[in-house]
Amino acid sequence: MNHYSRLLMTVPLSLLMFGSAASSFAATSVKASVNGMVCAFCAQGIERRLSKLPATQAVYVDLKRKVVAVEFKEGQTLDAKTITAEIVDAGYNVTKLETVEQSVAEIKAEMKAKK
Amino acid sequence: MRRLAVFITMVLSAGLAAAAPMGFKGSVMTMGDFGPNWKESWVNYALTARDAIGVGGLSMRSDDGTRTRRLAELNYTRLLKRWNLADAQANVWLFAGVGDIRGNDFGGSKLALAPGVQVDYETTRVYLAATARLYRATDLNHDFASVRAGFSFYEADYDEIQPWIVLEARRMRGLSDKTEITPMLRLIHNRYFVELGVNSTRQARASFMYIF
Repeated sequence: MNHYSRLLMTVPLSLLMFGSAASSFAATSVKASVNGMVCAFCAQGIERRLSKLPATQAVYVDLKRKVVAVEFKEGQTLDAKTITAEIVDAGYNVTKLETVEQSVAEIKAEMKAKK
Repeated sequence: MRRLAVFITMVLSAGLAAAAPMGFKGSVMTMGDFGPNWKESWVNYALTARDAIGVGGLSMRSDDGTRTRRLAELNYTRLLKRWNLADAQANVWLFAGVGDIRGNDFGGSKLALAPGVQVDYETTRVYLAATARLYRATDLNHDFASVRAGFSFYEADYDEIQPWIVLEARRMRGLSDKTEITPMLRLIHNRYFVELGVNSTRQARASFMYIF
C-alpha cells in the first residue's frame, strides 16, 4: 500500500472515529423551572452560584420563561439536590428539573426562537 | 387567587422602600442613595439566603440646610418571609440597626437605634414597595417612611438592560415637614441597578446597588 492509499483510508477512518467520539460527548444539561425569578439583578445569584460549581460548563437564565439551564463539563454531572440547593441559596424555589441532551447554547437558541 | 391575596397583603401592610436589601448567600452587596438632603451608603454580607450583616452611614440635612445629622450604624437584615410565585415575588424584610448619631445642634454623639420593616411585591413589569424605619436616640426622632410604585414598559431578557419608571414618596420626622416626591428612571441589568431622578423640590437623586 503506497503513501496515498494509506492516506485515503486514514482520513475517512479518522472522521468516523471523531464523529463517534463527538456524539458520545453530547452535551448534557439540566433545565430547572424556577419560581420568583422576576428581576435580572436579583437573579444574578443563581447564575453566579451555579457557575462556581466545578462540574458546570455554562449557565443560562431565561427570565421570561423562568427557566435556568446548567450544562455540565464533559464526563461530569450534578445531582438534582445540589442544583436545587444552589438555587434556593440564591433565594428562589425550584418547581421542576429536567435533564436534556442539549448544550446551553442550543437551549438558549431554542428559547430565543420561541419568543 | 393566591397571587391576589399576597398583593393585597402587601398593599395593606403599608410600611415603606428599595429593591431587595441584600444579595444571595455568600455575596457582598453595596448600595448608595445620594441627594442634597439625604446621603446614604452601606455594604452588607449575606450570611445565609435570609440574613445579612453590614455597616452603613447616613447623612441627613433639614430642608433649610441649617440642621444636620450623621449616623454610622451596624445593621442586620432579615428576610422574614418570601413568596416565590410563578410570575411574581413578594417579601417582608426586617432591619435592626444600632449606631452613633451626631448633629450640628447638639454636642457629642448619641446612641441611635434604627429598626425597620419593608414589604415589596414585584413582577417582571410591576414593582410596589413600602418601607418604614425608625431613627431614634435620646431627644431625637427621625422616623422615616417611603412608598414606591413602578412599572416597566416591556419585559427584558436576563442579559439586557430593563428600564423602569418608579415614583417614590418619602417623609422623615424632625428634619423636614414635606413629603418628598421623586419620579425616577430605574435601569436594571444582571450586574447593576441604578436609579436617577429629580424630586419635587428640583433636587437630583441618584442611587445604585451592586453585588460582588
